[in-house]
Amino acid sequence: MRSVLKHNQQKRLVISLFLFLIFTLTIKAQEGDPTKGKELFNANCAACHQLENRLVGPPLKKIGEKRDQKWLIKWIKDSQALINSGDKDAIAIFEEYNKIPMLAFPNLSDQDVIDILSYTDTDQMLGADGKPIDEAYLNGKKVFQVNCAACHKLEKKLIGPPLGNISDKRQMPWLKSFIKDSQAMIKSGDKDAVAIYEEYQKVLMLPFPQLTEKEIEDVIHYTTVGDNEESIQLDAEMDNADLELYRKWIVRFVIALISLILIIIILSTKNLLLKFLSIAMIVLGLTYYAFSWLLQIGVDDGYQPIQPIAFSHKIHSGDNKINCQYCHSSAKHSKTSEIPSVNVCMNCHKSISEYKGILYDGYDKAFYDGEIQKIYDAVGWDKANAKYKENFVQKPIQWIRVHNLADFAYFNHAQHVTAGKVECKTCHGPVEEMQEVSQFAPLTMGWCVDCHRTTEVSMATNDYYEEIHKALAKKLGTEKVTVAQMGGLECGKCHH
Amino acid sequence: MKLLSKYSILFLIALSLLISCKDKRNPNYQYMANKDMYQSSGYETYSKNPVFKDSISAQKPVVHSIARGKIPYEYPDSELGYESAKKNLKSPIVKDDKNLAQGKYLFEIYCSTCHGIKGDGQGVLSQREKFLGIPNYKDRQITEGSIYHVIMYGRNLMGSHASQLRENERWQIVQYVEKLKSELQ
Repeated sequence: MRSVLKHNQQKRLVISLFLFLIFTLTIKAQEGDPTKGKELFNANCAACHQLENRLVGPPLKKIGEKRDQKWLIKWIKDSQALINSGDKDAIAIFEEYNKIPMLAFPNLSDQDVIDILSYTDTDQMLGADGKPIDEAYLNGKKVFQVNCAACHKLEKKLIGPPLGNISDKRQMPWLKSFIKDSQAMIKSGDKDAVAIYEEYQKVLMLPFPQLTEKEIEDVIHYTTVGDNEESIQLDAEMDNADLELYRKWIVRFVIALISLILIIIILSTKNLLLKFLSIAMIVLGLTYYAFSWLLQIGVDDGYQPIQPIAFSHKIHSGDNKINCQYCHSSAKHSKTSEIPSVNVCMNCHKSISEYKGILYDGYDKAFYDGEIQKIYDAVGWDKANAKYKENFVQKPIQWIRVHNLADFAYFNHAQHVTAGKVECKTCHGPVEEMQEVSQFAPLTMGWCVDCHRTTEVSMATNDYYEEIHKALAKKLGTEKVTVAQMGGLECGKCHH
Repeated sequence: MKLLSKYSILFLIALSLLISCKDKRNPNYQYMANKDMYQSSGYETYSKNPVFKDSISAQKPVVHSIARGKIPYEYPDSELGYESAKKNLKSPIVKDDKNLAQGKYLFEIYCSTCHGIKGDGQGVLSQREKFLGIPNYKDRQITEGSIYHVIMYGRNLMGSHASQLRENERWQIVQYVEKLKSELQ
């Protein structure tokens, strides 16, 4: 009896050990590493798949719940073989996605696939560094921008007090009830609430009863973490623009005051010399203004028309470093540097259907998404199914040309970009910093001629002109030849 | 008092003269703008055009017409076309430093934003996670024919770049991509 019991115990121990081992093994096998999974996903899958949207292939969010893991491993390693074996699901997918076969990934191990699946099936969003994104922060920022930003900033007073680190100053329950209905709190005689009310000129804060507890908590979390550096930098830039405006007004004021004094002197003094000098100064001043007025006729620097789509060169060319000539590709061969046709936009925007970058100038994500949607509306792209609509009549996007040269002057882009190797920004300015493009250079003849006088022709890299350049350099007795010396000032070069 | 109001009016007039009324949303006024000097009666490249039905000046070429010097591309935009181009299509341009240098110049404008300067798939758009899954050239079975075919029609997420590049430019890029691929291995 005793030995039986012992035997039983032993058996139980072995079984439980065995079970335990299996259990841990399976756990180990099924538990993927979402961070590594993300890396693998981005490297192997993301060319054709997104999590949320259909792209070349189907969206993969929660795919592990839809399909069996073993099936997925087989499919990923060799989808063609699975289709050929007559698997119904495999054939159905192949048919649904226009019979484009998925690339085979025999290089991925089973564990790799499990890692990928743990990434696609996770609820937590992962940021660029593979760490979980602070969703409360993002949500709080959004809520703040929609509801609070009209009257509050984080770092300074606006209509209401600055809200940076507000949680240090007030308790969460107090904040919650104040945000939901500040008036009721003031009426109830809450000391802090009344103090704020008095401090801010008795302007009542709007009640926000529609915000949930969590939304308020997220907002407070956002105010605690603070903004990223970029938006603060933008504020500084805006202040500079304000300063510039103030300076202009001060100068105007001083000039107007001086002219007033001069007029008073003319009218009141009996000293002839003083009278004469004052009149002379006024005449000189007026002549100066008359000439400056004449000289700006037909000069359009600063021209910044409102475009049909709020296309931001700062985002495309500044943040994402897309070369100017990627879109304006005809500049290298043609007189005109073209406005890209929409197929060039769609090269990227087939997959980029929403904006995830920095929000500039108080625009929100919905605004930028709407601007991207305008491309789709023009070209007939069905975002949900990731394909062009059939029988759609495409509409041209009517961009407004910013840089207009008078028709009596000839200008050729290819001549400057390809032959002359002139950088785009020499004439167009720092476009990569412009949210909205404005005309940078005056485009006057004096401006053209100045550049032609000073720009040296690079002779080393231009074998087409090599002999001519050599002869010219010899004739002029210099090593360096400017555009002007090559005939770049002759009237007929541009006026013909 | 009367004198003061007189002077303040004068002051305001002087001030108003100094304020430019330039509006950045509209072009400035022009001298003889309506006399064909600044704007001739011809249509601008992208202007509206009442002559055509769709009122666009920049018309597409007539269907099936072939521009001078342009050689039609025979491989169809399909899996079969891709496989066939991969096997049979060969570069018509010579392999020399000049073509390679031009290929590098063009690659860095049209390709490197996604594919990376070295062709390792680590371009700016890839690093900023705008575009993902851009392959390293060394991981892909590519030939000069298949590279050209993909520039021509695009593949998967990559769009066609035929409208941005001329035929010989595409071949120059192909030459440079092959060099990058060999350097990566």
